[in-house]
Amino acid sequence: MSNYNPQEHMHLNNKISDKTLAEQVAALPIEMTPERDLWSGIERAINHKSQEISVDKQRNVFMPSAWAASIALVMLMSWFTFSPSTNEESAPELVKKQEKNSVTQGQLVNFMQQNFKQQKQTLLASYGQPTFDKLPEAMQQELTQLSDARASIRKALLTDENNADLLNLLDFTQQQELKLLQQLYRQYQVI
Amino acid sequence: MDSQTKQDKQVIDIKARFSANKDYPFGDSDDEQLWITEAKQGSQTAFYQLYEKYHRRIYALCWRMLADKDSAEDVCQEVFVVLWQKINNFRGESKFSTWLHSVATNVVLGHLRKHKNWLQRVFSIEEQGASVQEPSVNLTDDSTLTLLDQHIARLPERARLVFVLFAVEGYRHEEISIMLKMAVGSSKSQYHRARNLLKESLLANGFVSIEEEINHE
Repeated sequence: MSNYNPQEHMHLNNKISDKTLAEQVAALPIEMTPERDLWSGIERAINHKSQEISVDKQRNVFMPSAWAASIALVMLMSWFTFSPSTNEESAPELVKKQEKNSVTQGQLVNFMQQNFKQQKQTLLASYGQPTFDKLPEAMQQELTQLSDARASIRKALLTDENNADLLNLLDFTQQQELKLLQQLYRQYQVI
Repeated sequence: MDSQTKQDKQVIDIKARFSANKDYPFGDSDDEQLWITEAKQGSQTAFYQLYEKYHRRIYALCWRMLADKDSAEDVCQEVFVVLWQKINNFRGESKFSTWLHSVATNVVLGHLRKHKNWLQRVFSIEEQGASVQEPSVNLTDDSTLTLLDQHIARLPERARLVFVLFAVEGYRHEEISIMLKMAVGSSKSQYHRARNLLKESLLANGFVSIEEEINHE
């Protein structure tokens, strides 16, 4: 760009109208030179700043977790749609063992829930208690769906005693939620 | 078409002609594409090339919007730090210079909001804006500025922001209304107000109104 000559511009036109004003605006220099060196400060700052991953790349990164969440949901839906009703005679070994050990299913569910909460808390603490609402909206939705699925299984377990498959499904959903959280917060450590 | 719309169109036409000029220095060259690609991969050397090419233009934008040299320098730095962080979001759907200007405009507006309560700013400045203000920039302070730039710097803040975004940067009133969180009509009226204040201010500094000159003849 040619060097700007202020004198030339100042005396460009000393008659002012809307038209001449518009022309002078169009003739304003595109560039101005800062007095101080700005690069050294920028260089220092970018040495400590990581570059954001583009939205497209983020989508790719989250594909596996999205798949895992979807699989969990499909399994859950299939369970509620096609699962046979259970009775004492067909109760699996695990449940029979529970009964023998005098641990009720309700107690076991509570234990699993407490254990899950502790693991989740430890995980979040290791990432500096990140804020859920700063995650991308799609990921928030995935997590909410998993959480809802978990709540539905727990509810089903209250009315369906001695159901080992449902217990396993609860365990699976909890693990998926933890894995998804870990993946998300590893990606968003800066949040 | 009313006279106001004609005048607005005139400004846009002049800018369009200017941008169509072959010597317009902000086209996306092959080198620039390479710098962008390398900067996306973390090359500070390539990023420096982009800085070197654009920082004067971004500084001009910051200066015109903020009307303060020190703030403009600080915010210009902030723009390039944000650019470093967000450069992967540039997908080449528009010219890099256009995208960079939108990043810069957002950083400047964010800076203004952060450093003073927005409503407080609006009320205090609008009161003062009824007449031409005392210059916040000493007209003899910086001989590198055009006379028009010095007068733009004296405009009330909202009028100045709208004027710079519309007349200098080429944004539409619809876009400005979103950026500044105001009605489209307010953006238009702020622009006309800015233009009238500018003419008033220039006349007070020795310029002659063309209409006035005709009357004298």
